[in-house]
Amino acid sequence: MTASLGRFLILASVLVSAAGAFIGFAAGQKQSPEGLKWARRFAYAFAALMLLATVVMEYALITHDFSVQYVAQVGSRDVPLWVTIVSLWSSLEGSILFWGFILGIYIAGATRLNIGKHEEYMPYAIGTWLGCGAFFAFLIAGPANPFLTVPNPPLNGPGPNPLLQNHVLMIIHPPMLYLGYVGMTIPFGFAMAALLRKRLGHSFLRPLRASLLLPWIFLTIAIMLGGWWAYEVLGWGGYWAWDPVENASLLPWLTATAALHSAVVMERRGILKGWTVTLVQASFLLTILGTFMTRSGVFNSVHSFTQSSIGPTILVFLAVTLIASVVLLALRIDSLESDGNIESAVSREGMFLVNNLIFVVLTFTVLVGTCFPLIVEAVKGKQMSVGRPYFDAMAVPMGAALLFLIGVGPALPWGRATKREMVRALVPPIGAGVVVAVIGALLGVRNPWTLVTLFFGGYAVHVTLAQMWLPLVQRMKRGGSFGEALVDAQLRRGRRRFGSYIVHAGATIVLVAIAVSSTQRTSQEMTLKRGQTAQAAGYSITFTGIEERAEPHRQSTIAHFNVTKDGKPVTTMDPRMNQYAAMREPIGTPAVHSTILSDLYISIMNIAPDQQSAGFVVINTPMVSWIWIAVLLMGLGGLVALIPHRAVVMSVVAAAPAASAGEAPAATLIRS
Amino acid sequence: MNRTVLIVGLIIVAAIVAILFMGLGNDPAHIDSPLIGSPAPGFALKAVGSDETIDLTRYRGKPVVLNFWATWCRPCWDEHPVLTANAQMAGDRVQYLGVVFQDEESKIRSFLEQRGWAYPTLVDQAGKTAIAYGVGGVPETYFLDKNGIIVAKFAGPMSAEDIEKNLRKAMQ
Repeated sequence: MTASLGRFLILASVLVSAAGAFIGFAAGQKQSPEGLKWARRFAYAFAALMLLATVVMEYALITHDFSVQYVAQVGSRDVPLWVTIVSLWSSLEGSILFWGFILGIYIAGATRLNIGKHEEYMPYAIGTWLGCGAFFAFLIAGPANPFLTVPNPPLNGPGPNPLLQNHVLMIIHPPMLYLGYVGMTIPFGFAMAALLRKRLGHSFLRPLRASLLLPWIFLTIAIMLGGWWAYEVLGWGGYWAWDPVENASLLPWLTATAALHSAVVMERRGILKGWTVTLVQASFLLTILGTFMTRSGVFNSVHSFTQSSIGPTILVFLAVTLIASVVLLALRIDSLESDGNIESAVSREGMFLVNNLIFVVLTFTVLVGTCFPLIVEAVKGKQMSVGRPYFDAMAVPMGAALLFLIGVGPALPWGRATKREMVRALVPPIGAGVVVAVIGALLGVRNPWTLVTLFFGGYAVHVTLAQMWLPLVQRMKRGGSFGEALVDAQLRRGRRRFGSYIVHAGATIVLVAIAVSSTQRTSQEMTLKRGQTAQAAGYSITFTGIEERAEPHRQSTIAHFNVTKDGKPVTTMDPRMNQYAAMREPIGTPAVHSTILSDLYISIMNIAPDQQSAGFVVINTPMVSWIWIAVLLMGLGGLVALIPHRAVVMSVVAAAPAASAGEAPAATLIRS
Repeated sequence: MNRTVLIVGLIIVAAIVAILFMGLGNDPAHIDSPLIGSPAPGFALKAVGSDETIDLTRYRGKPVVLNFWATWCRPCWDEHPVLTANAQMAGDRVQYLGVVFQDEESKIRSFLEQRGWAYPTLVDQAGKTAIAYGVGGVPETYFLDKNGIIVAKFAGPMSAEDIEKNLRKAMQ
């Protein structure tokens, strides 16, 4: 019964989305307000059907209805309720349904928010979104149907993937990633609408930018959560391994970040419209490529644990959307461009261009590195691998270059700068850069790239803080307290600008923390007997014994440690090995003691059969926790920039192309 | 119509789709090597921790287990104790050799000092030997019979059973 209801809802959503897409495109073609109304209704109907189908699946999971195939596959009476609820995205079929659900919410939200606005674009945008919706609904109805029935339902099931049960981060990471991935459909729809309408007006930039920023925030946090999860669970003390699945999440993030920057130039100078649209399209297409990478089983990854037969279907969709994007772009790109230009390469917009170039080169580097084994196999019939050293060798200088731009870009004025202005903008932050690099060197940093990163980091922090400070000072000069100035100049008037500098501050800290944590880490392996103490990373670590703990869904072996420093107790640490019924090998969970300076990390390597001694790896990594905090800061900055503001577009900005070099940065605010 | 965008775009699209299409249906973890049944490509590589150069032909007459690995590869860490234990058990009957791919000698040395070793580890400068063998990723292991013919290839970290099963082919 439940399965039949689910199948009915999904089939209905296929029809509704396909019909809605058709109506949307037809309404766009005829510019029919009535057609747009109907397209909207179909968009809401699609969202409602997806929502209902998801509710039906959750109901089946919670009631342990093992006659539904997906429940028989991932459900279990022995797991806690929260595990049952999140089982929705623990395996392929459920996660595609979850994808459809999120897509429905996004489409309904974007449709609702744009009622009465941008009516010349909206029918095409809704048509594109529902076209994508039709594909995913088809995927759920056919190749990845979670609502198939089991003729002889089992009494109990195996439970979801143990990795999902092993750590709380695995519960938040997939939804965040889907919110990022699926959300890229919305700016893609807007970009396609702009191409179909042959124009990209100034007022349409706002929905385009906002719809890109929201999934960008989710994707930023999702990538961090994935790294954090790897760090907390996999036991090797690292957070990024350039694994194909990790790269799959990074690729759309890189192009979306580039697009957010080129959109600013587009807004100010009226140029780069075609380029921005291309980047927006690429961000969406890379999410589909990423889905293919994760789901097709083509790539050899440590965590592509959901391999399936939907690869060919996704490939067809990828090919269709790629061809449609390229053809439309070729047909319409020339009609989007306006006659603005860049006056000088050494200007803020010049730096935006370099930034875009680096992001695109980085995207290609990661894409080629990830696909290289496939390329060589296709060309030569034999396999080669691109290991971590390739990615590191390429990404480290580009990361440093981006950090350089975070510093130099905002320091330069828009338009053309005089020599004196350039010196005044670029020289003072050098002091901050030198100070940070010297502190790093005194603390033992010797790696040249890390020192360069520290220098650029100090430089960028100086510039970022100065740029945040300037509007405050100017507002205070006009009267008012610091608090009033903060609220008025940053949170009310210059929110977008303020938000983007918070993102820059976060990104600077992330890049510096990555450089320091990956080069300054120390690792020590040791075998300890019960009661024995060892010295590592300035701590005394005493192994106090092993405990076995049985839970309904897993058996855990926990090692206990007392950690002291200079004779004073610091903490107890309890790394564990969890054995799940569904998995042959145990999954380790290292113990991490985080401080603001560094993380002490203990992971079990082996335990003697008599449990009187065990082998451990003890890793001390500086600045790791800074990465997690700074990424959250980036997300927060994104949110600050996203929140709509009623004091719409200041005249200074509307007259953007006229902005002259002599303007103080605060007068060139981009307001939303 | 911008012909450049159209032509360049479609070429890129065609290339991406073709490569992904050709990749479909392949199990990346289990690739048969075209070298199976052929003589193993020869090499003379420097051993870690000494100035000695080891030539593969030196071991003609007994089976060889040739393991490509790296210290940056996490699954290689898991595989290392398995290989070491098996090499110790095999004694003189089987020659185990490690070839390190894209790595630094100092890192390899500290890894081996911490975890122990039971057979020579060689440094593959510029990955030439890995290319000659068509290594698809690390860890990857080639099993050579006593005549130096490649009889089996294993991609990914091996268990003791995997080693035994493949070694049996090399011992025949």
